[in-house]
Amino acid sequence: MLIPRRVKHRKQHHPGRSGAAKGGTTIAFGDYGIQALEPAYVTNRQIESARIAMTRYIKRGGKVWINIYPDRPLTKKPAETRMGSGKGSPEWWIANVKPGRVMFELSGVSEEVAREAMRLAIHKLPMKCRFIQREGGEN
Amino acid sequence: MPEYTKLTAELRTEFGKGAARRIRRADKVPAVIYGHGAAPLHVTLPGHETMLALKQSNALLQIVVDGKEQLALAKDVQRDVIRRFIEHVDFVTVKKGEKVNVEIAVHIEGEAAPDTLVNVDLQEIELAVDATNIPERIVVSVEGLGVGARILAGDLALPAGAELLTDPEYLVVGISQTISEEALEAELEEAEAEAGIEHEEPEAEAEGDEKPAEGDEKPAEGDES
Repeated sequence: MLIPRRVKHRKQHHPGRSGAAKGGTTIAFGDYGIQALEPAYVTNRQIESARIAMTRYIKRGGKVWINIYPDRPLTKKPAETRMGSGKGSPEWWIANVKPGRVMFELSGVSEEVAREAMRLAIHKLPMKCRFIQREGGEN
Repeated sequence: MPEYTKLTAELRTEFGKGAARRIRRADKVPAVIYGHGAAPLHVTLPGHETMLALKQSNALLQIVVDGKEQLALAKDVQRDVIRRFIEHVDFVTVKKGEKVNVEIAVHIEGEAAPDTLVNVDLQEIELAVDATNIPERIVVSVEGLGVGARILAGDLALPAGAELLTDPEYLVVGISQTISEEALEAELEEAEAEAGIEHEEPEAEAEGDEKPAEGDEKPAEGDES
């Protein structure tokens, strides 16, 4: 699973959720991609789960790229504790994804296989997403 | 003589985001035309026609501004990241016979040897070509190529008159061995175990319904320090 090896600050503020993706909005490496249509925090477990779903479906045929990295820690206070006494302990690692961001890419398979693999992967993700593919004239 | 798509443009008199948004609301596209040392022309293009004309990359269009026709190459097309409508276009004026630097997509054809994976490392190559003769794509055949085969930018068959600007030593396509079924299965199982993903097993599910779920997630309570 994707986890930063070392961080400068163990606990951070929640990252902002507004706005659209500034970059990474087009397919860079593969032929097909999953593009986020809503903002969301994507945990490292969700990223891994989506990758596994895709890889299981395409079997040995293709190559998968993950374009997001869960580098932001989110904290949680234990259940049934009173408020105060400082910030909770880090619980999740998340990638702050904004609309338009291409999160996963895929190549080396037919469009049909890519569509189905990415459909399965989209079900593991916490936001509305769409399947996109490389096209001439898009850039 | 080839026929180019003709777009009639109106000169823009007001600028800035407010004006640009008014133009977009009227189903038009703000654009700019520059090149050959002339002052840039800020224009408005019809939305639907522009969208159709820019479906292909490196589109060469004939733009009519104030009754004067000029050939222009779409240099940069800005699109909305979600809805994909065109927000703005940069055109560079070109003359017939002039060479322009463009990025051309690499298109893979054919089937490599079985159990191999075709990795396209360079999706676009930069060429200097005749402005009126821009190829739509560069076709690379990987038919029958085996593991370890490499196609460099210098190996590509370019159209007549085209000059390669990308480093000829740059790897365009590499062929690698696909992962074996056992290795893939082992890797996925390890990843699933790490992520705590369990596959549904009908008998196991029927037996242990409610009890184990409760106590599992609690030990975090004592963590606080």
